[in-house]
Amino acid sequence: MNYDWDFSPVWRGMDFLLGGLANTLLLSGAAILSGLVIGLLLAGLRIGAGGRVLGFAAAAVITFYRNTPPLVHLFFFFYGLPILIGVSLSPFLAALIALSIQSGAFFAEIFRGGITSIERGQWEAGRAIGMGEITLLRRVILPQALRRMLPPLTERCFELIKTTALAASLAYGELLYRAMTLTSQSFRPLETYTAVALLFFVVLCGSSFAIRALEARLALAQP
Amino acid sequence: MIGPFDFGPVLENFDLLLRGARLTLLLWAIAFAFALVAGLFVGIARSSPRRWLNWPATAYVELFRNIPVLVQLIWFYFAFPVLSGVRLSPFAASAIGLSLNASAYCAEIYRGGLQSVARGQWEGGRALGMGEVQLMGRIILPQAVRRMIPAFTNRAVELLKNTAIASILVVHELMYEARELSAETFLPLETFAVVGVVYFLLIWPGTLFSSYLERRLARQGG
Repeated sequence: MNYDWDFSPVWRGMDFLLGGLANTLLLSGAAILSGLVIGLLLAGLRIGAGGRVLGFAAAAVITFYRNTPPLVHLFFFFYGLPILIGVSLSPFLAALIALSIQSGAFFAEIFRGGITSIERGQWEAGRAIGMGEITLLRRVILPQALRRMLPPLTERCFELIKTTALAASLAYGELLYRAMTLTSQSFRPLETYTAVALLFFVVLCGSSFAIRALEARLALAQP
Repeated sequence: MIGPFDFGPVLENFDLLLRGARLTLLLWAIAFAFALVAGLFVGIARSSPRRWLNWPATAYVELFRNIPVLVQLIWFYFAFPVLSGVRLSPFAASAIGLSLNASAYCAEIYRGGLQSVARGQWEGGRALGMGEVQLMGRIILPQAVRRMIPAFTNRAVELLKNTAIASILVVHELMYEARELSAETFLPLETFAVVGVVYFLLIWPGTLFSSYLERRLARQGG
């Protein structure tokens, strides 16, 4: 193989790529935050906080979104939803809606699993010493449940960050889409896509190390 | 405009979607079969105490798990030919990307499964004079595989969802046919809703099967 590697177009476009990385992180952060809210809502409805009909609807949404490819939802919200509501959505907004609902569905199951994993005796003991439901949840159940939920939650967030690359297919200017733009000008696909793959790797691997260190500390803090 | 939904044109072209679904399943089957085999070797290397086996396997696993699947497919389609001089068809690039990606996840499942087998089983096999390969094939794997099946089913489900990404490389699978159909009929809402349901019907049984297996395994106490 006598290919002459030439990274200079990539270096020249580095600001452009890093801007794309910032957009990737912006979309990820926004989708994680709204996904957590949607997830809490879905989990609450799913365990029956809003009656049977809403409970069933929440279960249906969770099951459907967990069992369909995210790309279908991106296209549905980008091309389909505007017809329904009469307002066209930006690629960012369409991707945000699709990814928030999808990660919300996954988060909901994590929340539900975390809360139902706490032994019944903990609830009974709390009630026996006269705690109200809210106090009981806040001081006894959630502190234990959160520790169990944290690893699957962070894993889901990493999955979500990787999924945001799909927004490139809606021409949202995240890291991968910017790489495609750069390649169409520099004709250096090998260098550009290798650099982008490494950028993703460094960001994801780096944060996963940081999170693991944090989790280890949390585990140490446990009595 | 909130008009009445028009599913007619989408359902009339349902055979087009079914053709796409066939290619989706083919892509899935190829990648999953490869991942199960390659994952075993990478998984064994990853649990090996020998550094020259362990380090490359760890790098392989971490690399494929920490880069978005779409970036990997695009790399194999646009970048790999520059490096190797071999041009890949969209289908081949997608199959390779999805296979390698899934094999990294399967390797971790194998590793977890192998670690879950009690040390005494290894020692017992060695005491009987079994070689590493025989020990692995006759004592360790049969015990470990049962515990790995729910995780493999989960991975199969994730892989089936990932095949939709191949549509971006213009592989004519289900998602691609859906995009074509939506552009022809001007009915994106109906088309993507129908395709969502088709995917759901393909994927949901796998999820149900996986949770059934998990429950059964929990009842049997691992």
